[in-house]
Amino acid sequence: MDLKALKKQESKRKISKGYMWALFCAVFWGIWYLPGTVVWVLNPFDEMYGVIAETNGDAVSLVVTAVLITAFNALTVMLALMVWNGVLQKFGELGRTLKEFNPCSKWFFLASIFGGPVAILGSFMAMGFIGGAFAAVAALLYPVIGSVLAYYWYGEKITKRAAIGIVVIILGGITIFGGGLITELGAGEVPWIGYLGGLMAAAGWGIEGAIAGKGLDIAEPDVGLTLRFVGENIIWWILIVPILAIVGFPMYSFAIQAFEPLTLLVLIFAGITFGFCYVCWYKSFPLIGVGRGQGIGNLYGLCAIIFIFLFFGDVPQWTILLGGALCVAGSFIMFTEEAGELETLRGE
Amino acid sequence: MGNRPLKFRILELFLDEKEHWNYEIVSKIMEEYGMKGDYHRDSINFDIIELASGGMLKDVEQKVDEEGIYKKGFLLHKYVITDFGKVRGSDACLRYV
Repeated sequence: MDLKALKKQESKRKISKGYMWALFCAVFWGIWYLPGTVVWVLNPFDEMYGVIAETNGDAVSLVVTAVLITAFNALTVMLALMVWNGVLQKFGELGRTLKEFNPCSKWFFLASIFGGPVAILGSFMAMGFIGGAFAAVAALLYPVIGSVLAYYWYGEKITKRAAIGIVVIILGGITIFGGGLITELGAGEVPWIGYLGGLMAAAGWGIEGAIAGKGLDIAEPDVGLTLRFVGENIIWWILIVPILAIVGFPMYSFAIQAFEPLTLLVLIFAGITFGFCYVCWYKSFPLIGVGRGQGIGNLYGLCAIIFIFLFFGDVPQWTILLGGALCVAGSFIMFTEEAGELETLRGE
Repeated sequence: MGNRPLKFRILELFLDEKEHWNYEIVSKIMEEYGMKGDYHRDSINFDIIELASGGMLKDVEQKVDEEGIYKKGFLLHKYVITDFGKVRGSDACLRYV
């Protein structure tokens, strides 16, 4: 084989690998909404919600319970990633990267602030108050923020085609989001705190992707995202959970009760699916760029709807189906991009 | 024994602003960090690919690996650091050699 053909083949392989990672991310991410929804009806979280709601009202109770669920989610994700790094023999690199706090770890800790307390907490709030399908599709808007930030911040190129794809995906997201909202407005009761959660998810993940891209270009993705979850665990277990306990919420008594087989199983399931969705997400960025990685990863919205339908039997509204179709179409507009345009992702 | 993150060290090796072949960098890193085997070889090469697609290294020359210096029948790449790479390198407190 001659040089030119080999070059073309190699570039193609790199790009298809990047898209493959992004697609795996979508599947794992979609599955995550199953344990994420189920965990709300399991003890101790079910009981905790009831107890706090009696004294502090539904809204406060929802947020505080979501905090504990998100903290456990972060813990199981971190454990899953530690196993992953062990398999890849990357503990040495983990230590080396952690020591370089100033140049690169700080980006992961910053990413964990937007990913954890903003995006993941928001998702659990949306799941608890409105439902898994809504939580999934609400966050579909995050690539707007991610791509725009990546463009202005470190000059990542967004080709015309990629931009069209992103716009179509967003239209799909709006259709799904708007459909539910209109029905609820008609019924006269809008669970606004759930919608706030949905917005937090979209904004948080968009910002996280752009920040992580900045740390990611000088660190290994497997190591980088593990550090990101170490950061999130510090934020939850060392800062927020103790503060809530001091304020008077029964955080620890319910946290201890989480150690029962069924609850643990669901939490571990959440940790594994979410951990690997992140592995795939971060791996796709250096190969196809933050904007595209996030765009294809967006297929998770559709995956989540399918999984929720299969496991819970919830039949989606027509707006959800139409929006889902738009998301697929948008992702394929990006997918069929000419390989040549992707050779360098940044302007010189 | 190397003590900096792999990608930092790789960038550092490129800060001499000379062109380097990927197999030279890979074998140097493996030696410095005491790594052995195809898995680590491919893993380090993937780090170089990531640095290149991130715009910090530029792929300037390719040749087919006919003798199997690295991987027979595959492409060998020669890279040079970009201005963006130098900026990121100095962000990461790398010293100019």
